[in-house]
Amino acid sequence: MTLGDRSPVSRRSFLKGAGGVAAAGSALGAAQALSASQQVERLSGTTEIQLDINGEKFKVRVEPRTSLLNALRNHCEPPLTGTKIVCDRGSCGACTVFVNKQPVYSCMLLAVDCTEKKITTVEGLAVGGKLTHVQEEFVAHDALMCGFCTPGFVMSVTACLEKNPKATREEIQSACSGNLCRCGTYPRIFEAALAAGKKLQGGR
Amino acid sequence: METRTNAGSESPEWGPRESLTLLNTNLRRVDGPEKVSGRARYTHDIRLPGMVFARLLLCPLPRAEVELDCTAAAKIPGVVAARSLRDKDGFETKFLGQAVAVVAAETPELAEDGLRAIRANYKPLPWAASADQALSPDAGQVTKNGNLGKESTKGDEAKANAILATCDATVEAEYRLPVQHHCSLETHGVVVDYRGGDEATVYASTQGTFTVPEAASGPLGLSASKITAIVEYMGGGFGSKFDFGIEGKTACELAKELKRPVHLMLTREGEFLNSGNRSGSIVKLRAGAKRNGKLIAISSSTMRMGGIGGGSFSGLPYVYKVAPPDEEAGEESDEKAKNPDGVRSSVRSLYTHTDSSRAMRAPGHPQASFAMESAIDELAYKLGIDPLVMRKTNLAKDVYHRQLDRAAERIGWGAHPNKTAPQKTPDADGTVTGIGFGVSVWGGGGHAECRVKISIGNDGSLQAIVGTQDLGNGTRTYVAAIAAQEFGLPLEAATARIGNSNYGRANASGGSTTAASLAPAVKVAAHKAREAFLAHLAQATKRPAEELAFRGGSLVEREGSKALMTWKEACATLGTSGLSEDGDWQASLASNGVHGAQAAKVKVDLGTGRVTVVSMVGVQDCGLPLNRTAVESQLNGGMIQALSYALHEERVIDPKLGLMLNANFVDYKIAGCQEMPELVPLIDDDDIGRGVIGMAEPAITPGHSAIANAIYNACGVRLRSLPFTADRVLDGLAELAANGGAK
Repeated sequence: MTLGDRSPVSRRSFLKGAGGVAAAGSALGAAQALSASQQVERLSGTTEIQLDINGEKFKVRVEPRTSLLNALRNHCEPPLTGTKIVCDRGSCGACTVFVNKQPVYSCMLLAVDCTEKKITTVEGLAVGGKLTHVQEEFVAHDALMCGFCTPGFVMSVTACLEKNPKATREEIQSACSGNLCRCGTYPRIFEAALAAGKKLQGGR
Repeated sequence: METRTNAGSESPEWGPRESLTLLNTNLRRVDGPEKVSGRARYTHDIRLPGMVFARLLLCPLPRAEVELDCTAAAKIPGVVAARSLRDKDGFETKFLGQAVAVVAAETPELAEDGLRAIRANYKPLPWAASADQALSPDAGQVTKNGNLGKESTKGDEAKANAILATCDATVEAEYRLPVQHHCSLETHGVVVDYRGGDEATVYASTQGTFTVPEAASGPLGLSASKITAIVEYMGGGFGSKFDFGIEGKTACELAKELKRPVHLMLTREGEFLNSGNRSGSIVKLRAGAKRNGKLIAISSSTMRMGGIGGGSFSGLPYVYKVAPPDEEAGEESDEKAKNPDGVRSSVRSLYTHTDSSRAMRAPGHPQASFAMESAIDELAYKLGIDPLVMRKTNLAKDVYHRQLDRAAERIGWGAHPNKTAPQKTPDADGTVTGIGFGVSVWGGGGHAECRVKISIGNDGSLQAIVGTQDLGNGTRTYVAAIAAQEFGLPLEAATARIGNSNYGRANASGGSTTAASLAPAVKVAAHKAREAFLAHLAQATKRPAEELAFRGGSLVEREGSKALMTWKEACATLGTSGLSEDGDWQASLASNGVHGAQAAKVKVDLGTGRVTVVSMVGVQDCGLPLNRTAVESQLNGGMIQALSYALHEERVIDPKLGLMLNANFVDYKIAGCQEMPELVPLIDDDDIGRGVIGMAEPAITPGHSAIANAIYNACGVRLRSLPFTADRVLDGLAELAANGGAK
């Protein structure tokens, strides 16, 4: 699959910048030589794309390899650092965001694949600064300690309850099984999620 | 009922527990809303104008001669610095993952490009990457005196042996604990804001705000007094974040060179290789008891595996008492009671070319606990004694008896059918169920290290200001709560301002000493501020200060509680500068010495060998609980980390290749949602009359030991090496079958 199949980003805009970044490393140099010999299109350099995050349009200048996570944290203005970087390889869930309402690991997505999609980060949950039921119950049940995993868990629990506010403890455990916490907030998170589910069932 | 006077010069006291309106209740964290909304800014989240991102190049071998050529890296557009971490480009490394070079660039991706473009030539030197390798004669030498450190011994081997020979039951075994990693979710690192001039700000993910200015002073070339450390939020430390580290030093040097802010956070791989760990241990032990269950001898030799560091081990016997061999012989001398003839131990470090161990939550205690609790358990089953009774027989203090009984009651030990032998017939689903126990000990006392300012504004604001850091234990919340309670206000009325080295000094958070060092100073400052405010209000209301008090958000008459002014009205009588008082530590508000007992219930699947922890109960004393919710959360956290150590955690190094095979969260597994048992954190409320004591460390100590004992109680397999994986259980079951049942 090429980039053009999925994204309106102009392939040419990347190719314009080709050569600069990759010229240095020997491994990259070899790849470049290979691609040149085979006339394969390579993507490098930077381009400006537009991301729809929390209902706002963000213009960001990224490379083809820039992950959505790094685009949020390092390229958006103001930076959206509520989404955390912990493992950077899809194993801890701290970077969970919604893309078209689906919870995803933003470290495993390319920013350029997320144009024309609706992205929601933890900053986008509390509309007008009012905490959601899930966020409120996290606070009420002490479902956070150091807080570094918390945004990811808030997103996973929110996604789980949006699908099914009657989710059982087992279903919540399953929905959050891609999130890690080191301080040991898990049992409180389950309690918070169950309480938030009750509130959601009672009408918002 | 209020018994103390509200004015006068008596010294501050916590007062009777029933008089406390906020402390010893369930408080919500004051920074909860910031954390759940993503607004809390951690060091990793700091973004500054012109900031560059730096990455460290880590040596991929345990020991090597390194030659670096950074010229290609430096030429990459967007890379602003690429250089060796030494003055020269060729040098020798000493441990796997040692940082050798740094690249700084406009984006993290470009910094990674820079690392890949460094031409690094690693010539392997003989290394020792595992325990076995370190002990082999042709291994690389970590120190000039070899790989074994100096032996430290206690007791007399011949005397211990003589007593062991008289025991009714003995156990001789080797217990192994692998290296465990802290796995703080926020990696180590700093953001150094220096853009020239003679001042700098250093944001750090640290356990010691006040350690930073001095550590940054050298590499920045600035006086420590010109450096401000900021630690608003930090994403976990667990003992690993005291050192400024190579990352801190390097970031400061780069910032000085570039006159630009530098962001240098370790990657997850770097965190595994380069930010410390809990040392592993190999404990060879012989212990013996009399028919009545009295432990009378324990002789042990331990190797601590802390990489190029010494490692830690808290010593044996751990918590349990060793009785004189012949108690009927009459009273023993104090000297004998302290150093019984039955105790002999030897401890030494076994060095390897791996990252130095650092403090990790209760350093040395989980290691000693595992050997001790396993040995006690093994002796109990050999003697046919209920393991709970066996423990109480060898624990002198009443507090352990009460805590063990409570844990036992809550986990269902009374109705448990197989107390002195494993379950004979599996349940219909092919599983067997077992229960095990363990105990802990810790100091947790405080010191005169904190100075807190309480500031009252004429707008009604109440602030508690001190430079301390909140690692996630809830420091910010109790600082605010102590202040609010002093003035009869709700928690929301007070603000805690922490995490800044320009505020009043505070100790680094280690050894569970923060609460007992900090809370008294907050109390003293609040008490002084209250007295000063009442004296001021006495003039304003033309009443004697002794007749005034703060209650329910108002200034009231001491007797009768007639409201005289709201808090806001009272504050409005202050001048524009408000009122402020400083407080220092007061010994009578803190105590020292905590205990703790835990129980675990497990199911073992005899077909697959899989261990499922069904429930864990922790009973913990902590003097005066500042925030019951936070204490319970700490206790949960300790039990969960112990469960994780028990079932999953182990650093795996291929000694031949010299590689760590699991330096990521896929292969180094920590416990997740699916493994969570029912967790029951119980505060020991019979611990009354004492001041504040820290309790975070003992919470982690006995859980894995209790799980090991529960596994034996379930299926008769004695696991003497962590983690308790299915293959080890199956091996044990196969051995049992070959030997015709549990021994």
